[in-house]
Amino acid sequence: MDEPIGTGEDGACVHSQLASFSSSCTLQQPKKLHTFSREVQEGVLHFQIFKLDNQLYIWIGCNSGKLGQLYASMPTPFERIPSLATLIGGTSDSVGASIARRLALKTGWSVVLACNLPKNSPNLEAQAEMELLSELRTQGYVYKRTA
Amino acid sequence: MAGSMPLEMTNMSGPNGLPSFPVRAKEFSKVIQGNKTDFLLCSYDDYIFVLATQLGKMGTLLQAKKEEGYGSQTTFNVSVLLGKHDEPMLQACARQLIEHISGMGSSRPLLLSLGLRDHSKEALKNIVEAVCENKVW
Repeated sequence: MDEPIGTGEDGACVHSQLASFSSSCTLQQPKKLHTFSREVQEGVLHFQIFKLDNQLYIWIGCNSGKLGQLYASMPTPFERIPSLATLIGGTSDSVGASIARRLALKTGWSVVLACNLPKNSPNLEAQAEMELLSELRTQGYVYKRTA
Repeated sequence: MAGSMPLEMTNMSGPNGLPSFPVRAKEFSKVIQGNKTDFLLCSYDDYIFVLATQLGKMGTLLQAKKEEGYGSQTTFNVSVLLGKHDEPMLQACARQLIEHISGMGSSRPLLLSLGLRDHSKEALKNIVEAVCENKVW
């Protein structure tokens, strides 16, 4: 593990600094996970936003900590509407699919969305999306489109 | 009933009276074989989510499930949801991780996201170790 990568000025072995940092060393790092909750008529909506490099991982939960359906949406140069893949879930009710698409459209980033909202609640979906966009705007990931 | 707590006190409330966040999450960074690796671990009710990235991207998404066979035979099923389908080391990593998770007593399936520069056996072994050291289940 501690392989010398060269020799220093005085002939001493120069070890790769990074490699000699044993993996028991945890680095201090600013937090990238942003969580928040919002009270709604149907209970409480819980959100997680994890920012990556031109990519977002988002989880939306309603009254529980279940993962829900998992979608991946990516802007594509071939169409205005971002592509969508359903990774977990896959039944005909696409709760969250349109949210994933619109998030990818508005941020210009690829989005992986886990969405645990109940079926047949379009109002709840709309509200969840609104809260999410509002928070993304606050974090600076969504820019208001000029007309 | 004498001595019972009022509902609002037993319901672990957050600062603004909302119920506490239902998902336990851990975020940290480690140097794995010379590459800085960012980890995110989340414990959902029905899944354990592990993200390990060196490239700043989610990379390949894998799912690993424990399946009870006949006569208490346990098998693990690993599938690639998104990304590299032809990288056996990533699937081996998912399998190792779900085996460890199962061994530690959790029967929840694993959702694993690997955005790695280094797919070596050593790196993946260290990643599994780092996750188990920081388990959220």
